[in-house]
Parts: sequence; structure tokens; C-alpha cells
Amino acid sequence: MTIDVTPPGLGIDATPAGLTSEATSAALRLVAVNLAATVEQASVGSDPYRIDADGAPYVPVGDGGIVLGVRLGDGVWQHPADHAAPGACLVHPDPAAGYALAAQACVGNLVTVRTGAAAGRTGVVVGKRGEGGRVIATFPQDTLRLLRPGDQLAVRGRGTGAGDPVPGVAIRNIDPALLALLPVTAGSEALDVGVRAQLPSKLVGNGIGRPTPMWDLDLQLTPGTARRYDAAGLRLGDLVAITDLDARFNAGYRRGWVTIGLVVHGGSPQPGHGPGVVALLIGPAGLLRASADPAGHQGLSEEAALDAVRDLQ
Amino acid sequence: MQVTSNAGQLVTQVLAGEVWPPLGDRHGFRVDPDGHAFLLPGMGGVTLGAHCGDPATGYAADHLEPGLSVRHRDPAANYALQYLTCVGNTVVVTTGPAAGSEGFVIGQHAYVLVDMPEETLRSVTAGDQVTVFAVGQGLALLEHPAIKVKNCSPRTLAALAGGTAPDGRLRVHVAARVPAEAIGAGAGMASEYANTDLMGAYEVGGEELSLGLHSLRIGDVVALADTDHRYGRGYREGWLSIGVISTGSGRLFGHGPGPSTIMSGPADAFTIIDDPGANLAVLAAVLPQKEHA
Repeated sequence: MTIDVTPPGLGIDATPAGLTSEATSAALRLVAVNLAATVEQASVGSDPYRIDADGAPYVPVGDGGIVLGVRLGDGVWQHPADHAAPGACLVHPDPAAGYALAAQACVGNLVTVRTGAAAGRTGVVVGKRGEGGRVIATFPQDTLRLLRPGDQLAVRGRGTGAGDPVPGVAIRNIDPALLALLPVTAGSEALDVGVRAQLPSKLVGNGIGRPTPMWDLDLQLTPGTARRYDAAGLRLGDLVAITDLDARFNAGYRRGWVTIGLVVHGGSPQPGHGPGVVALLIGPAGLLRASADPAGHQGLSEEAALDAVRDLQ
Repeated sequence: MQVTSNAGQLVTQVLAGEVWPPLGDRHGFRVDPDGHAFLLPGMGGVTLGAHCGDPATGYAADHLEPGLSVRHRDPAANYALQYLTCVGNTVVVTTGPAAGSEGFVIGQHAYVLVDMPEETLRSVTAGDQVTVFAVGQGLALLEHPAIKVKNCSPRTLAALAGGTAPDGRLRVHVAARVPAEAIGAGAGMASEYANTDLMGAYEVGGEELSLGLHSLRIGDVVALADTDHRYGRGYREGWLSIGVISTGSGRLFGHGPGPSTIMSGPADAFTIIDDPGANLAVLAAVLPQKEHA
């Protein structure tokens, strides 16, 4: 039995070494779906201020919509912003369709702009945001400059429902083909994953107790506290491991388990918020083995993510 | 609690609320820690059989809200009701067969939660109107400026054990100490709204889920380690929040019995005293005598 890790038309060898081993009981073929999405306009309430963890008011910048100048590989605290994501947030005006968009769009999915000045150009899903059913898509900066809130897009959703990459390790929120672009190595019985940092579950704020297919996990870290966890160098696109966390369904505490996720948005001054992580791989620590490389870790790069969808157009 | 405060200067707002029905969706089921489906009562409406002093867990329930669950139909008026209502506030039922009956607020959970004697609860149902005498936001402890008080009525403050110690710290009696690992849903939200679900007290699942919180009771005063709830609910090493358990059994993963926050400050501003009797049940004693007949 093999895992279906290669989407039709994907021109690169998307199968990580070892991932075609007799690894799963769920070698069902994934379906792809074309989802309608709209570029979000950032929105705030009638009061311009939010309150930071020390009680000081601030005006949130970069929280949703189209954000220029934030890219995969940037430090999560590099920009003075709130939850800034690398690219544009995509939504749907109907709430139920928005939840479906968030649940069925996966990291590595092709995004095609259908209307507006950027019509015909493409990008790639690199994450999701909590609560409102939002998908984060990265585009080349010259495409992003042409986008305008309200532009219509199509997301080629694929990945939800993928079988375990090794028995006992669940995969979520990513097209399995994309694992080839990440430091993920499958053995016969365990998955080894390189990460930037390994963090305790008590640092997870917003997102805990929420359904992980449509909600990211905010890490309650600041540049100051991150040093205690060797995470001061955390970047967008990094993989991180969160210990004692089971994020297969809702995210919750489970001793001895680990959740590995992708850092998809930057830090936040709000208490209980911070850099956001989309859960990708979840399992007992014996089957899902994370090794941290605080200085040398290479996560998902913009170039690799955009290359991965080039042949899907 | 033996402590000086500005309680005498606080104003009271009279707020209208409505006992809100339990809400479902057309698919019914939710998912427990192991991925099993469940469909259980507990949230919304009128929930009988769980009062201050009773166990918080051990029920076939999800998001157990003791007593009345109260909202307002208008969104902005509802936020005012949720934000301004404080633990210990008096609530009077104003319509239906229980009109005139009195209870008290035990916390918020996106509903205002009201404990009443069991015999009174039996005659209240969803749709009945209640009046909340909201007082407490703005309460300050004059000798403890580092400690932020919230969601706490003067009556609750007075009823709690402890107070200002000779060393200047605030003595607070708690029935349980909660580790930071247990903080579940509610993290990152405003601390004047809903509550903090605690993980690790499920009725289902294995030992690897447990965080030793199965002995909590409704109304217990608890200390939450490494939390700063002054301006929202966040993790902060060396800080402490005090809450009262306002909800019980939670089957949904990442959820569970939850405290509504009443104080937050640097840990060294407090002296925590373990006391199994630290429970809001003391407030039941000040209900009108007729409600206990």
C-alpha cells in the first residue's frame, strides 16, 4: 500500500524519501475542489484601539487583508504589526462557505486570481487564520501589489482527508505533496521532523480548544520570552513542535504527544495572542520525533511554495 | 475579605436579561478528546442539579452551566450585560411562575450564569426575563495597586476569606491551584467575557489527559498559575489570576470546568492559602430566607 502524495499534474517529485513505504491503511485517493474566495479587506471596530498585554492602547496594523512587505522567511517580530500574514487573507462572504474554505484549503494549494488587475496570476496557500474562516495566500510581491480587496479567486483545495504518513501520526491542513519541501523524513515506524524550536503546550493561547482545520494556534511569546525557549529567531514559514498537545480535532493537552505546525503569521501585542501556527502533523512523541535547530532550520520558503504550484495551473 | 476598597463609591446598573435556550445545530454531534462523537446537555437554558459547592465534574454533560444562562437579544446590550455583570450580583426573576425569586451570579460564560435554589429553578424556563443588579466593575483594592480586580461584586469580596496581611500581600484562600498547562479555550479572549476552560478534568479518555483537576467544585475559588488576566487572558510567568469555577463538565477537547476571573496581579502580590472551603457557596447564605424554605 502506498500513500497518495502526488497530485495529478504535479511535475516535481513530490514524494519525500520513505513516504512511499507501506505506511498507512488509508490510501484513499484525495479529491481536489475548486473553492471560491474573495480577498479580504482588513477591518476594525468603531474604536481604533486594541489593548496590549500591559494595558496600553495600540492601533492594529497588518491584521488581515492584503499586507505588502511581509514574506515567508521574515522574523515573526520583524514588523511592528498585529498578526501580520505573508500575503493576503482570503475569505468568503457567506460564513458557512467561509468555514468550508478554511477547512478544505490546505498549505500548498494553488490560488488563481480571477478578477481585477491581477486576474490570471497565481499564488499558493500557506496557512489559515482562526475563527472567521480565513485562508492565507502568498503571492509574488508584484502580484500582491495588483490585488485589491474584493477581488475574486479560486483555491484548488486538496489535502483534507489525507491518510497518516506513518501509522499513528495524523496529517492536517497541508497537501501531503508539500511534505517533500519540508524537513520531514519518514522511517518505517516514525516520522522525523526538523523544527526551529520545541515549545511547551502552555504557550498556546488563542486556538486552544478550537477545531484545528479552521483555526491556527497562537504562541504566547514575545521577543523577550522567546529566548527562554531558543525561539528568538522564529520566522514565518518555520516548523515548530509543541509538546503535550494533540491537535488532531480540537487542540488540547495530551501528555506525551506532539503537534508540529507551520508558522503562518507574525506576533501580536494582544494578551493570549502571538505568532500563529497551523497544525500539520500530530502524534505520540515516539512516532513523531522533532529535532530543533534554532539557528539553521529551513522551513517553507516563498520560492519553494510558489514553485510547488507552478505546474498545477 | 479584610481589605480596604472603593466599594462604597461604586454605582449599580439595572440590566435586563433573558433566560436563553440551549442552542444546537442540525448535525447535533461534537467531538470528544479521542474523536468520538457526543451529544450532551449542559449549556444554555435552565440546568438543574448543580449548585455552588457541588462537584464541577462527573456529569453526563458538556459545558455544564449551573442554574440559569442569561443573555440579551440586542448584541450591544448583551455585551453590556456580559461585561458589567459581576460574580455575586443579585438577579431577580421578573416573569413566569418564579417571578420575584432571587439568585446570584456565579460567573460569565458568554451567558451570565445564575445560581438559585433548586426548588426555584424548577419553575424557570427559557424565555423568562430576569433583572441583574450589576455592580463591581471598577472595584479597586486601595492597598494593593498591583492587583486588578474585575468581575467581582463588593458582596463577593466581603464574603471571601483572607485579606491584607501584615507583610502587605493579599491573602487569598483557594480550593485548588491550577497549572498553566490546564488553560484551555478562552485564552486570548477578553477577561470580562466568558471564562477560562480548564483541560485535564474530562469524564472520558486516558490518564495522559489528566491534570489532577477532577475534584473541583462549582463555585470553588482557584489560583491560575502564570496568567495575567488584567487586559485579556494571557500567559505570563510570575503572574497569578484568581477565579471562581462557574462552569462544570466539558466533553469537548480543550474545554472543561472553567473559572471566571476576579483578580489578577504579580504572584508576589498574593499569599495563596489552600483551603477546601474557599467556595462561593458562602453567598447562598445571604439569599433571602424564603428562598431556602
